[in-house]
Amino acid sequence: MTLQLAVILVPVLFGMMGFAIDLGRLYLIRGELNQAANAMALAAAAQLVGTSASLDNATAAAQQSLDDTNHLGNKYNFGSLPIGQTTGNLASTVNDPAFFATVADATGASGSTGTEAGGTTARHVRISLTADAPLLFWSMLPVGKSRKTAIAGQAVAGISAPLCTACGIEPLVVAALDTSDPVNFGFGTPGSGALFTLAFECLPDPSRINPITAPPTLAGTVLQYVIINRLDLANGILDESQQLYKNAAQGLVASPHPNPTGSPVPLACAGIGDASEMMWASAVPASCSTIIAPSASVSETLCGLYSRFDAATSPAVCTNDVTDFAGLSALYQPDTDAITGEGDLYSAYTGNRRRIITVPVVDVLGTNAAAVMTVIGFRQFLVEPNPDGSYPNPADPYGRFVAQYIGSPAPVRQGWFDDHFGLGCPVPLTSGPGKVVLHQ
Amino acid sequence: MWMPVLLLLIAGVIQFGKITYLYYTLRKIEYTVARSVAIASGVNFCPDATDTLVQGAIAFALTGTSDGSGPPLVSNLTPGMISVTTECIDLATGLPGPCDTSGCDGVAGAHRPDYVVVTIPGGYPVQPRIPFILLDSFPLKPTVAVPYGGVS
Repeated sequence: MTLQLAVILVPVLFGMMGFAIDLGRLYLIRGELNQAANAMALAAAAQLVGTSASLDNATAAAQQSLDDTNHLGNKYNFGSLPIGQTTGNLASTVNDPAFFATVADATGASGSTGTEAGGTTARHVRISLTADAPLLFWSMLPVGKSRKTAIAGQAVAGISAPLCTACGIEPLVVAALDTSDPVNFGFGTPGSGALFTLAFECLPDPSRINPITAPPTLAGTVLQYVIINRLDLANGILDESQQLYKNAAQGLVASPHPNPTGSPVPLACAGIGDASEMMWASAVPASCSTIIAPSASVSETLCGLYSRFDAATSPAVCTNDVTDFAGLSALYQPDTDAITGEGDLYSAYTGNRRRIITVPVVDVLGTNAAAVMTVIGFRQFLVEPNPDGSYPNPADPYGRFVAQYIGSPAPVRQGWFDDHFGLGCPVPLTSGPGKVVLHQ
Repeated sequence: MWMPVLLLLIAGVIQFGKITYLYYTLRKIEYTVARSVAIASGVNFCPDATDTLVQGAIAFALTGTSDGSGPPLVSNLTPGMISVTTECIDLATGLPGPCDTSGCDGVAGAHRPDYVVVTIPGGYPVQPRIPFILLDSFPLKPTVAVPYGGVS
C-alpha cells in the first residue's frame, strides 16, 4: 500500500515542486523585464522634443540603458542574461519603441492601441521586450519540450500634463507679447522659424532728445529679458558668478535653502501664479543709450549659455568674470547639434536638448530691483547661432542672443502639475511643458 | 529509502523559492533607491559624498522610513552594503560609462549623470539550508540602472 501510495504521490509531488520553481522564476524574470522596460521608456521619453530626429534619439537612448559594457546594464534571469541578445538557446528581443501622441493611444486605454506618431508629434513611448525564460521541471512535460518559454515586459512613459511649477529651468524671464493668448503669449507659431533677439532689458533715457528705446536686433524681433533672483546666499561652495554661470549652463541649481524672494517655491524652480519674482539684484537694467558693456552678472549668464555651443574655447570675459571658469566649464558639453539655426525650422534640430531653454513668462518685466513680476507660464526657445554663424557673445553689450520660439515640446527635469505651493495656478493647465513620467 | 531523498528535494525546492524571493526583494529595494535618487534634486554624486538624499533613499527602501527607524525588510542588509553610482553617456561613442568626477576636487562637483546605478558590490550573502548538507554561502548581486531625471 505504501509503495502504491509513493508511486502515485511522488510524481504529483515532483510536479508541484517543478511548478513552484519554474513559476517563481518566471515571475522573477517578468519583474526584471518590466524594470528594464521602465528604464528604457523613461530614457526614451526624455528625448521626445518634437523634432524629426527625436524618434531616432529616443530609440538610441532606450538601447543605451541596456548597454552592458561596464556590466551595469539591466539584465534578466537573476541578472545573468543580457536583454536583447541570444545566449545559448535563450533569445531576448527588444522591439522597436512605439511612439504615440496621446497617453490613451500609448496605453490602449481607448480600447485598442492608437496610431503611431511621428517625431514632431510623439509625446509618449511604449517599450516591449520579450525574453526566453529557461524551464527546469516543465521541460519534462510535453508543453515544455523546448526547455524555455517567452516572457514579455512592457512599459509606457511620456510627457506629463503641463506643469504649474517647473524646476531646473533657465532663470531668464520674458514678458508676454500678448497676455490674451494663453497658448503662445503672442510669440507666434511654435517652431515656424521666426527668430527673436533676446536682449537684456534696457530702459529709454527720457533726458535724451532721441532716446534709444530698445536694444538693436541681431535677428528678428527684440524680446527683452531679465534674470530672476535665485541668489543662494547660504551656498558655501559657489559664489555669485558661479551660480549665475551654472544656472544658465544647466538650468537652476538645486538647493535646500529658501528662495531669496520669500516665495515657498524651491530655489531651483519657478511657479505659475508666483507674484513675488524679482530680478537678480546685481543685474538691473541700465539706460539703452548709455550701455557700452554688459553688467558682469549678464556676461556670466551668457557664458553659461555659451557652454551649450562650445567647450573648446573660453571667451575672455568668462575667464575673467566667472570664478574658476576652467573647472566649472569642464562640467558641460556642447550640444551635439550646435549648427541648426537661422533659416531652419525647429523640426530640423537634431541635438541633445542642450540648446533648448525653458523660461518663465511674466505679465510685465520689472524695471528695477524692487519691482515684482508674476509668472503666467513657461515656454521654450531654441538658442541659435548668430546670423553670421558665430556663437552667442558673452561680452555683447546688450546681453543679446538669438533664439527661435518653439512652444513647449520638450520635457523639463522636474516639477509639479498641481498647485503644490498654493500660488493660484489654474489646474489643469492647457498648455506648457511637462515632465517625464511613467504611465505603466 | 526514497523518503530522505524526497525530503531533501522538498527542502531544496523551498530554499530555491526563498532565494528567488530574496533576489526579487533585493532588486525591488535597489529599484526603489534608484528611482528615488533619479528624481531627487540637489544630489551630490561625488564618490566620497555621503549625501543625505541618497542615504534617505536607501533608508526608505530598506525600512520604509526615510530615517531608517523601521524594521528592515531584509535582515542583515545594511545601508553600507548598497552602492549608488552614476553613469554618463560618452558623446563620442554614445555609450554609458563612469562619470567624470575630477571636478569633485574643486567647486565644480561631479558631472550631471545620465543613469543612476544601484548595486550591492559585495553581494548579499545567502546560505541554502538543507538538512544534513552543508553548502557554502554565495552572494546575490542584483544591479539596477535607471535614467537620471533630477535637478542637479
